[in-house]
Amino acid sequence: MIWLTWRQFRVQAFTAAAALAAFAILLAATGPHLASLYAASGITGCHGGTCGVAASDFLSRLAATGPYPIVYLLGIGLILVAPAIVGIFWGAPLIARELETRTFTLAWNQSITRTRWLLVKLTLTGLAAMAVTEALSLIYAWWADPIGKAIGLLGLGDGSSSHPFEGQFSSVIFATHGITPLGYAAFAFALGTATGALIRRTVPAMAVTLAIFAAAQVAMPLGVRPHLIPSDRTIVTIESAGLDFGNLTATVVPGQPGAWLISSSAINAAGQPVSDLPAACQAAFSGLKPSSPGACLESHGFREVIAYEPASRYWPLQGIETGIFLALALALAGFCFWRLGRRRT
Amino acid sequence: MRAVIETDGLGKRYRRRWALTDCTLSVPAGHVVGLVGPNGAGKTTLLSLVTGLLAPDAGTIEVLGGTPGAGQAQLARVGFLAQDAPVYARLSVADHLKLGARLNPGWDAELARGRVDRLDLDPGQKAGTLSGGQRAQLALTLAVAKRPELLVLDEPVASLDPLARREFLADLMEAVAEHELSVVLSSHLVADLERVCDYLIVLVGSRVRVAGPVDELLAAHHLLTGPRRDPATLPDGLEVVSASHTDVQTTLLVRTSGPVLDPAWTVSEVALEDLVLAYMSQAAGRRRRDHHHLEVQK
Repeated sequence: MIWLTWRQFRVQAFTAAAALAAFAILLAATGPHLASLYAASGITGCHGGTCGVAASDFLSRLAATGPYPIVYLLGIGLILVAPAIVGIFWGAPLIARELETRTFTLAWNQSITRTRWLLVKLTLTGLAAMAVTEALSLIYAWWADPIGKAIGLLGLGDGSSSHPFEGQFSSVIFATHGITPLGYAAFAFALGTATGALIRRTVPAMAVTLAIFAAAQVAMPLGVRPHLIPSDRTIVTIESAGLDFGNLTATVVPGQPGAWLISSSAINAAGQPVSDLPAACQAAFSGLKPSSPGACLESHGFREVIAYEPASRYWPLQGIETGIFLALALALAGFCFWRLGRRRT
Repeated sequence: MRAVIETDGLGKRYRRRWALTDCTLSVPAGHVVGLVGPNGAGKTTLLSLVTGLLAPDAGTIEVLGGTPGAGQAQLARVGFLAQDAPVYARLSVADHLKLGARLNPGWDAELARGRVDRLDLDPGQKAGTLSGGQRAQLALTLAVAKRPELLVLDEPVASLDPLARREFLADLMEAVAEHELSVVLSSHLVADLERVCDYLIVLVGSRVRVAGPVDELLAAHHLLTGPRRDPATLPDGLEVVSASHTDVQTTLLVRTSGPVLDPAWTVSEVALEDLVLAYMSQAAGRRRRDHHHLEVQK
């Protein structure tokens, strides 16, 4: 059965290996130069306040240098779509094509139960899906390591600034680094297989797989990830929160470098939330000195409430998110076994 | 003799429609069984139940004394050739043989290779480019080389031209004789089965109409021709399968256990094809009457 699985899968396997190799070559060609830029930036061996300046300079220079922003975004994009491709082209046809071409009558009438047939197929192809996606993520992490270090020195958790580079908690970085790609790949593959088993036609199953997986990819960072571990709460001064005066939200979590800022809002002296600049400070804001609203708000007793996840929760959050997707993948695989076991072909 | 297929009240339903109802059969071993009936009669459903591709919704079925499709050992004992002989289009002939070798502990590699040689199949050719006849031969090779005790073939010759049809059946019979297989094959044409089958099951409208060894069936059915009369006046023990009347004459196809003694009738033998057609039209007539009855009720 292992032979048959490989024989039916080898074209896809070679395609995936070729894509992986092409990606690796692209990164290998640009990675050393990126590392040398980092080495020359003065970040190594910096101390105190010079580090932030050096890191900031390095990132700005990188953002303006040839291929780096493009490769940076391309890599993220590839790791994001890899699970979807796996789900569509490896998962959806796994059962659906056998039903469509009626070759299941051949496969399931050899001296092997269809439970075993499915077990071998799901395990081997599923592991391949996870391996390929995680391999993409790992070589990309190697390439982007200097960027991550520089962002770490700036103390940004999910921070976006003028350059395209983002911190470890940003929606896309979190889902493409660490162990989460394993979870996404397993989920997408099992989703494709289960959809194929249910719809019994390859092309519609592919479309449904893509729609559901894309929805899951959007729903996770927006609706689920912020609630996986109850966030910490802190009340800080307006000045320290680096306030964005447009909507009175914080841009950093004071004293928590690399933290994930989930939400923030200003409160007045009485502890009530406020969403607009008080009239007394409007003048200062529109006046000649744009930095004065902070002092004005401080003098009126305003403070900032911030909900955040400290940087130390990065791996627990990675573990939980990956666990959720692996559990979903197992449930979907279980559905496939149940579906085939009911013998309604 | 041991039964290869034993069913009791077997039924299978697709949503609300019963594809097979109240099927009770006991097919002894060592026969080549023809399963005949019009398209949509439930032949594929019955064969899928025999191979375990489907599970019954009513009644029981035992194949070679075991539950169909349950476990590796049972699967190894039954070979199946599905309708239109599906094969993996992108796998070569040699790949298919390797597939058979890998997935069947009882695989007879010599037999498989011998057949492929004799049938002049190119081992390197992709199965998707084979002709219908070659594809059927390849699928039959897979089914035979696993050395089953029972070989099940669903409409194996339906998509073949007359020459390929004859070759396929001749080849099948050779394999049967050589390996002492029990065989069940279905067709909607009696002519296909007449030459090869010694046991017949007629399935019409999801029900088994008649089943038995061909010689017994032929011995028990007679064609009666005589002056016109009402079939209801016939003596007991005569079961009318079909009746046709002209102004002066009545022709009956009857089933009886003994000889027909009434001198008013001219008794003649029945051809297998006429016998099958009589059961088919009987079922069709019943359905028409049922339909008519329903319309009257409305």
